[in-house]
Amino acid sequence: MRLRVAVAVLALVAAAIASYLTILHYTHNAPVCPTSGCETVQRSHYAELVGIPVALLGLLAYLAIAATAASARSEAAAIGAALTLVALVFSAYLLIVSLTVIHAVCVWCVGTDVCVALLTPAALLRLRV
Amino acid sequence: MSRSLVLFAAVGAAALVVAGVLIAVSLSGGTSKPQSTNAALSGVGDALSIFGGIPQHGIVLGNPNAPVTVVEFADLQCPYCMHFTTDQLPAFVQQDVRTGKAKLEFRGLAFVGPDSLRGLRAANAAAQQNKLWTFIDILYSNQGTENTGWLSDAMVRRAAAAVPGLNVAKLVAALDSGPVNTLVQAAQRLATTAGVNSTPTLFVNGTQVSSATAAALEQAVAAAS
Repeated sequence: MRLRVAVAVLALVAAAIASYLTILHYTHNAPVCPTSGCETVQRSHYAELVGIPVALLGLLAYLAIAATAASARSEAAAIGAALTLVALVFSAYLLIVSLTVIHAVCVWCVGTDVCVALLTPAALLRLRV
Repeated sequence: MSRSLVLFAAVGAAALVVAGVLIAVSLSGGTSKPQSTNAALSGVGDALSIFGGIPQHGIVLGNPNAPVTVVEFADLQCPYCMHFTTDQLPAFVQQDVRTGKAKLEFRGLAFVGPDSLRGLRAANAAAQQNKLWTFIDILYSNQGTENTGWLSDAMVRRAAAAVPGLNVAKLVAALDSGPVNTLVQAAQRLATTAGVNSTPTLFVNGTQVSSATAAALEQAVAAAS
């Protein structure tokens, strides 16, 4: 139960950040950013995947992960863990791209990275039942 | 416990496959759709629609076998070049370049100030990836007052990142490369030979065009065809 609460809370925090970035993406606004790198990252073509903003994909994934926490079934745990691992690997990739290719850091994105990093052990531990 | 292990393995494998596909798609440049979302950087959508679908080879825009060659001498910091590019060039490109009547060659100069050279090197580096025209159009759309520092390394990176399919790291690595130096020097030599003393200066098949307008260019191209 504690793990499910942890998964839900972390996923919802990540979803909140992703929804902020998604809204900015569609309203053509620059994020409030203490490092000035947010715009650069959000404007790069890595911010979209086949025309879909990465922020929106993240939002959907985080909401789905949060939804899996509503059920105690092992199938829900498995789906949640799989989605979390996808998010972990893809976030790591985006972080590397942002540091080595775009040369700018988007703190909002790093915020979701932290959530995903914390989510991973919680989501994986749910599989051990 | 063994059931847990199987579950772990299955979940891990499925996740890796999906993440791998996502990364592959992302690395392929996300080529499919022009970005309409570059709010803070102006003119990205315009640049993509003006030049989208027109072949670019190095510094040349349009069909390389087009019968008429238009050469533009310009400095990325020059305000008149910016006005020409944003107000006149789109109509000419639509009318004569997209249709294959003429090809357009960019010969960049750097005389306004040191930042001009930075922009020029970046433009010629973008030419190595056949994205010069889209890249400089975005730079022009975001032009600031001469020598105020707007044409910074960061601006070069931002503009480059906004061009789909333009590899920013590769562009930065090519800034001081041989091919870029050659283009910089060649343009300078050509400008000196042709007596270019202001920008933008346009030549249609070697004859200087009297004014930098779409109408004058179209007329000159029609006369040369």
